[in-house]
Amino acid sequence: MAEMWISMGPQHPMTHGLWTLKVKVDGETVVDTEPDLGYIHRGVEKICESRDFTQITTYCDRLCYASANTWSHSYIYAVEDLLEVEVPERAEYIRLIAVELQRIASHLMWLGAYGPDIGNLSIMVWCLREREMMMDLLQELGGSRMHYNFPRVGGVKRDLPHGFAQRTRAKVSLFLSRIQEYEALFDESTIFLIRTQGVGYSKAEEMVNHGVTGPNLRAGGVNYDVRTAHPYSVYSELDWEPPVERPSVKGADCYDRYRIRVEEMRISAMMVLESLDKIPGGADTYHEPGDPAIIAKAPSRAKEGTSGFHHFEDSRGESMFYLAGGGEGRGKQPYRVSIRSPMFITIPYASKCMIGYKVADIPAIMGSFDPCIGETDR
Amino acid sequence: MGKTVSTSVQKQAAEDMCKHISTISGVSAEVSERKSGTSPRSVVSVDCPPESWRELAESLRGDHGVDYCSMITGTHWPEGGSDKNWEVIYHFLRMAVGDPPVVDGMVEPIITDPTKVTGKSVPLEIEVRIAIPETREPVVSSIQDLWVGADWNEKETWDLVGIDFEGHIGMRRVLQPHETPVGFHPLQKQHKLRYHDFQEMYDDAQGFLRKPSDAGKIK
Repeated sequence: MAEMWISMGPQHPMTHGLWTLKVKVDGETVVDTEPDLGYIHRGVEKICESRDFTQITTYCDRLCYASANTWSHSYIYAVEDLLEVEVPERAEYIRLIAVELQRIASHLMWLGAYGPDIGNLSIMVWCLREREMMMDLLQELGGSRMHYNFPRVGGVKRDLPHGFAQRTRAKVSLFLSRIQEYEALFDESTIFLIRTQGVGYSKAEEMVNHGVTGPNLRAGGVNYDVRTAHPYSVYSELDWEPPVERPSVKGADCYDRYRIRVEEMRISAMMVLESLDKIPGGADTYHEPGDPAIIAKAPSRAKEGTSGFHHFEDSRGESMFYLAGGGEGRGKQPYRVSIRSPMFITIPYASKCMIGYKVADIPAIMGSFDPCIGETDR
Repeated sequence: MGKTVSTSVQKQAAEDMCKHISTISGVSAEVSERKSGTSPRSVVSVDCPPESWRELAESLRGDHGVDYCSMITGTHWPEGGSDKNWEVIYHFLRMAVGDPPVVDGMVEPIITDPTKVTGKSVPLEIEVRIAIPETREPVVSSIQDLWVGADWNEKETWDLVGIDFEGHIGMRRVLQPHETPVGFHPLQKQHKLRYHDFQEMYDDAQGFLRKPSDAGKIK
């Protein structure tokens, strides 16, 4: 049969954002693919060049609506590397709690969106119910529902509010018990298993070569995690290990990528509970905003010719900010901001993954990599 | 206590790598002690002239097991002096990740204990900076064939900054529209953001005529 190109997108229910996937098909089989990105390119890197270091956090929140906190923290660690700021330990614990709660919320958003992609509509409502609990907790910290603007250069905006620890323990424990409900809903759904098992194989070594990290890599049977390999924050103080999935001989399929995210949510929840116990000064004490226990004094100007960068474990893989500081008479603003988005690199790989499968498998394979177009296009 | 790579092991591995790659002509490598938040870390920080870049990249990939290209980015320095008008910055990670072995028909996941890594499996951060002298057409060698992950990074760097990669196959616009005029790369410093007189912004302030594609055709 003759081969032909089909353009999927830019509007498609499976995408959380605008992008086109050009698919070359031979009958029902995918022969070649070509992703086309850039539909919501906003020029964040250029905008940041004319903003102060403290003003940029707001833009980083908006890189990914599902995972705002991880992106602003990713930036904050890079800017602290540039300005050489030492952060109080209590602030690091609060950041860890915020990031891990956000990771749970992000994975829940993914799970909720992945269900309808492959024909399991009820899961969406279940996941959004638990995501709402996480967002309530994050709202207590950051003050807003989705774009928190929570970290500050040198610390955090606010301390844990009164009763936050108690509410978090209750909600996270409830969430841990409800993970079993998702597993019952997914693992015993025949439709889900048929559509995810045995499609979209990816091998670990190939993924690293292609620049794919995070949960997608750990689904391939490797326990690589930036949080243990290049420890930042206080991850080394907590008792945890990155989850690993046992893939099939051909590599990790969509089902493995689902399993690893469920395990990650569990581990993140345990981390939140543990850090509430270990936080220096106790989780029930409250410091006013600006107190040296939660925020350190930071210089506002970068030295001439310095640069800062930091590898960070985002909920979708390894994210990174590169900041070049200084320039003549403009030390308050970065000279160049560059954003390493995990999904920008993963989408081309995921598109290659689907070669050889049927057109109907495309949403299952693409969705299993957790694409987010906001961070991809920047 | 969690299992994380110890900083002293990482520092030792970084020093070993620096010693080895400094032997390539023109390359100067040092261990830079960095600190983000509360955690100290050692980064292999390398300055490399454009002509030695290909040799260095092959050495990193082949001899040192650097298997992951994290980011490629470029900077335009109009006031940076004639020897450093452009800069290309590469960030690599050594992950030392291989395919998990198959035992009796079942895959055995690789559970590395980060506290016990040695030799070439110690995770490392590597930063390589390449300064390019003043020119209208900055070019460095492509590393697309060594790390597939560098492919889209190079496309993006050319698209936004205008640094070309010699030997790159399939260069095209990735974030900008396909019909963007040749030679327009928005992160070059001659293009300014404007906030005032925004009417002016639409009068060809960006350096090319903004016209709807059907101008003059529809009455």
